Amino acid sequence: MHFEESDEHRALRAAVGAITDGFGPGYFAEHSRERRPTTELWQALGRHGYIGVNLPEEYGGGGGGLVELAIVCEEVAAHGCPLLLLLVSGAIAGEVLTRFGTAEQKSTWLPRLAAGRGKIVFAITEPEAGSNTHRLATTATRDGDGWLLRGTKQFISGVDEADAILVVAKTGTDPDSGRGRLSLFLVDAADPRLTATPLAIEGSAPERQFTLFFDDVPVSAEQLIGTEGDGLRQVFHGLNPERVTGAALGVGIARYALARAADYARTREVWGRPIGTHQAIAHPLAEAAIEVELAALMTARAAWLHDAGEAMAKAAGEAANMAKYAAAEAAIHAVDAAIQTHGGNGMSRDYGLVPLWGMARTLRIAPVSREMILNHVAQHTLGLPRSY
Amino acid sequence: MKIVVCVKYVPDATGDRGFNDDGTTDRESVDSLLSELDEYAIEQALKIVESGVEAEITYLTVGPDDAKDALRKALAMGGDNAIHVNDDDIAGTDALGTSLILAKAIERAGFDLVICGMASTDASMGVVPAMLAERLGVPQVTYLDEVTVEGTTVKGGGTVKGRREGDVATELIEAALPAVVSVTDRTGEARYPSFKGIMAAKKKNVEALDLDDLGIESDQVGLSAAWSIVDTATKRPPRAKGEVVEDEGEGGVQLAGFLAAKKFI
Repeated sequence: MHFEESDEHRALRAAVGAITDGFGPGYFAEHSRERRPTTELWQALGRHGYIGVNLPEEYGGGGGGLVELAIVCEEVAAHGCPLLLLLVSGAIAGEVLTRFGTAEQKSTWLPRLAAGRGKIVFAITEPEAGSNTHRLATTATRDGDGWLLRGTKQFISGVDEADAILVVAKTGTDPDSGRGRLSLFLVDAADPRLTATPLAIEGSAPERQFTLFFDDVPVSAEQLIGTEGDGLRQVFHGLNPERVTGAALGVGIARYALARAADYARTREVWGRPIGTHQAIAHPLAEAAIEVELAALMTARAAWLHDAGEAMAKAAGEAANMAKYAAAEAAIHAVDAAIQTHGGNGMSRDYGLVPLWGMARTLRIAPVSREMILNHVAQHTLGLPRSY
Repeated sequence: MKIVVCVKYVPDATGDRGFNDDGTTDRESVDSLLSELDEYAIEQALKIVESGVEAEITYLTVGPDDAKDALRKALAMGGDNAIHVNDDDIAGTDALGTSLILAKAIERAGFDLVICGMASTDASMGVVPAMLAERLGVPQVTYLDEVTVEGTTVKGGGTVKGRREGDVATELIEAALPAVVSVTDRTGEARYPSFKGIMAAKKKNVEALDLDDLGIESDQVGLSAAWSIVDTATKRPPRAKGEVVEDEGEGGVQLAGFLAAKKFI
């Protein structure tokens, strides 16, 4: 066993950090306040091959895996610019299309995603079916060679920035279990029968959240991803990467907050000594630093397990959940300790910590809630009876 | 043609740099990296190739084990291969000794054009390019803000042209190849390594050489052979607290007075 990071991964961190530094936390804060997409940073990373780092080389990607995408996700956040859509476009859509897309779908979409010139967002959550994917009510009804999509999706990130939306819809019912059979469709984000209404979300971020109304949106057979009725299994090939990159985002946010706090605690003097001298300031930061380091280790392991393929899929799912749990908790504690370290300045716009708290707090809910992870661990790791 | 770019692995200029007791650079307490000024030299070499000149780019560094990081970064930006001269007896070598090692390694590799940064970000002497040209017996064209190569053929030949901005004049200089040039930080921003570049760098050859390979005796280099040594070093004094002007109706006058006293206005 060895834990030393390779030269290539260190170089990857350094390059992504350097490109992000060219924009910086000020750029991110301004775009967050105005809820304006961070397109310039996204494209700069794309031009250098970092947005599509996990996509196959034959489609213009970097030929790396989730390990590399998680590093990109962590580093942009650690340099003050967390990019939420890496979780959606890069992790979910990128991994699902690579694995289940047809050659034509892949050659249409992957080069655009890889170059940072296009984004695909993801729509699964519904108002009446949050974490319970078996109760999804959005239906795809057969209509000639294609389908008509009908239903409502909620909390869908980045629809305004997207070229297409990967939609999970019900195409049938399993006669034995009564559960919905799901399928994946790639829907044009500009379809006139699709209405996207922005949600009023507290906390600032460059990305907007939307409610989507599908009013018999026509989709063709070419827009079906993978096999009809096999959507649930397929989507997990994207949900685990989303959790892993979500964890990486949390680790990055936490690292950024702790770096700011440590810097402040070293230099801010009250009564003639740096406030970091006081253990009441130092210990919460040290505790958070330990949690962040542990979460980072689990995130790297989860990414590695995903990249190891089908044989490791069960372990990858468990590790992805645990990493997401640990990283969200670590990020909340780190940002909270950083705000406390800054005293009144912690709430000031100039120090930019409160928006990070909003993001860290969101990570306890999304992409999968803390409670659903605990259910998963209780049932699958400990073999306890299913609770729901 | 063959381009050799000399690069140096230096303590991070943004860190708290210092010296060892014997006056040599303290490499332990600060992380090191590829000298930023050398990135401009790398960028110009890559630009020359991108302009259509057929050339092989070799990076050359003299430094400890970790100096391979500087070569890896350079190779991730582009270029073909690298040479790492590493020998315990090199520790403490000054600019004169460094130029000897570089010259021997460059002669061994073969070259049409040597490109250096204008200076290192640690010692900042800026004399190595001139020393190199002298040792190699070729023209030196230093401190260029712009550099191009013209008229090269497979048999060699060609010209290097450059522009040097001075305080009172702009000089347009050219030299027949082979030659040594140094370029400034005004040549244009150096590129970031791409992911493909990073992965490709892994497969590029880095040749490791020691003093024996170059036919250099250990008493020709190192601290004991240095013509320039660090005698003493004084830590930079901590930054003095700034003056706060409290505006009680006279703020503008006070500000003007402060600026006038410092001769800013």
